[in-house]
Amino acid sequence: MTQTVMKIDDLHLSFPVSRSLLDVVQRKPGKSVNALNGVSLELKQGETLGVVGESGCGKSTLARCIVRLYAPTSGQIHFEDENIFGAAARKDRSYNRRVQMMFQDPYSSLNPRMSTGDILAEALRVHQMRPENEIAGRVEELLELVRLPQDAAEKLPHEFSGGQRQRIAIARALAVEPEVLIADELVSALDVSVQAQVVNLLLELQERLKLTILFVAHDLRLVRHVSNRVAVIYLGRIVEIGDSETLFSAPSHPYSRALLSAAPSLDPDDKGVAIQLEGELPSPLNVPSGCPFHVRCRHVTAQCRTVVPALRALEGRGEVACHHAEEINQHA
Amino acid sequence: MTDHPILEVENLCTTFSRGGTALPAVRDVSFALGKGHVQGLVGESGSGKSVTLRSILGLARHYGEVSGSVRWQGQELTSMSERQLRKIRGREIAMIFQEPMTSLNPLLTVGTQLTETLKAHTDLGRRARRDRAIEMLDHVGIPAAASRLGEYPHQFSGGMRQRVMIAIALAASPKLLLADEPTTALDVTIQAQILDLILKLADEMSMGVVLVTHDLGVVAQTCDTVSVMYAGRVVEQGDVRQVLQTPRHPYTEGLMRSVPQDVPPRTQLYSVPGTPPSLFSLPEGCAFAPRCQSAGPACQTARPTLQDIASGRQTACFNPLPATQEDAA
Repeated sequence: MTQTVMKIDDLHLSFPVSRSLLDVVQRKPGKSVNALNGVSLELKQGETLGVVGESGCGKSTLARCIVRLYAPTSGQIHFEDENIFGAAARKDRSYNRRVQMMFQDPYSSLNPRMSTGDILAEALRVHQMRPENEIAGRVEELLELVRLPQDAAEKLPHEFSGGQRQRIAIARALAVEPEVLIADELVSALDVSVQAQVVNLLLELQERLKLTILFVAHDLRLVRHVSNRVAVIYLGRIVEIGDSETLFSAPSHPYSRALLSAAPSLDPDDKGVAIQLEGELPSPLNVPSGCPFHVRCRHVTAQCRTVVPALRALEGRGEVACHHAEEINQHA
Repeated sequence: MTDHPILEVENLCTTFSRGGTALPAVRDVSFALGKGHVQGLVGESGSGKSVTLRSILGLARHYGEVSGSVRWQGQELTSMSERQLRKIRGREIAMIFQEPMTSLNPLLTVGTQLTETLKAHTDLGRRARRDRAIEMLDHVGIPAAASRLGEYPHQFSGGMRQRVMIAIALAASPKLLLADEPTTALDVTIQAQILDLILKLADEMSMGVVLVTHDLGVVAQTCDTVSVMYAGRVVEQGDVRQVLQTPRHPYTEGLMRSVPQDVPPRTQLYSVPGTPPSLFSLPEGCAFAPRCQSAGPACQTARPTLQDIASGRQTACFNPLPATQEDAA
């Protein structure tokens, strides 16, 4: 559990926005969307790290950076001490095999014209996992692993339900025997009863194959259930990271508190206990100065408006990026 | 349930046909709703909850066959002409949809879309309509309402667009609001704001609400009564506290237990085995029987009907789960 597999260091990513004609005439600089503003994380061997946040906070961008779908503007990701964006690593495709991503939408992430068997066999061929004559056997094994019937190999994706498609996506990711899985909203599109089936499968496979998982989701209950550690992201920055149970039972950052209390409880007697957050997520085109959360925070002071709080360890809690975490927690 | 229900739905059935086969999308849905009352319809995708809502307002009859009765303040909506219905839609019964992105016209300003409703349903003058529009935007919590009337939907965020939708729906002070997954596309923090807003307005205007959702948490936090739907039928309904805390139908119980709450972390979650049946090939007996652990031989051949099991509490099951002491008390 203690060995670090992946180290993400001060990751920044901004997407340029096309300049309007008026901006060009007025010689205004081009704007950019700051999707990630200095994310640092460590992923440890065999753990599940949950990543939560509102839409637009950069959690999917982070996942895509990790599998090299986006190149960061600055910052580094080291996988087993090798920079994955370095020249040597770029040529080496083994990283692509060892770190696999699974996507949110089970309807658009599988090729509709390929049968399940072909989808899995393609992954095996590209990475030369098995000699040609063993591929059919391996496909059978994979289908069994994710508990799909054997006749599934002949079928096309449209013949499957959403839950079964996500199983195919999991089988495809596992085909190449990866060490790290990046699950971007893997079960968000599924109904609750099916969601539970897929989550159970993921937990079981993790145990069996000793996988490390980065679990990106907006469903807080689910993240709490599957994660060992959790990172809360707000406007491209980690505002709190720590042990899952500690964070969920006693969140320290005012944003984590509000986010967690906003998830509707299943108990009708809990009505009206949610901490209401004022306003909405500011546009990443125009990130507020200082602490990015200060415009919505009830505990804001002058310091918050100007100084960006750094992530620091809090006794008995995880790491928190808030100037006033101690005082706020005392009053709570 | 309530002394004078404003909306009474009885044995509502909606059938679609595809390629000559009849698809029973909604079957025998009945419920009643009083003033200021919030009724939830919950179920998985394809269970018929949205179609029920659309059948109430006469939208489903354009593409399906609707039978049964929907009485709105004594008037029968199912037999009403399109012309008569148009007087009720928007004025007495309003509806908000799931997608705030697609249900607003992108080419018209928010102000135009708001005053359009007022023009159709009230006899306010031009100036008064504008004032009312500003008042409504203010009411749903949109800052600087007056200056935002001239803006287009794309200039609003998702949460703000849903607020605009609510403002439009409530502009003519309807007595019933039909809300189809109003917060599903939104983040939890915004969801909490919007649900709070709907409840507050329902209370202030003593408006009834029918809320369709797949999220049991949303049901627990907003509804007074709830109907759980499976494969087009209501399998259990009653007071929200009773239904969620002591479910009597195995499906309701399965749904509640699949939500990871109060279970040890990283353990196997309870899951209902199998998947919901296709409407093309519904089982002969109870639609839930193939996935049900307490199914007996009777469940395979006969279909259970909704029976009263306690006051205001109904379930459609031959072998309902035992009532706990709390339920009996």
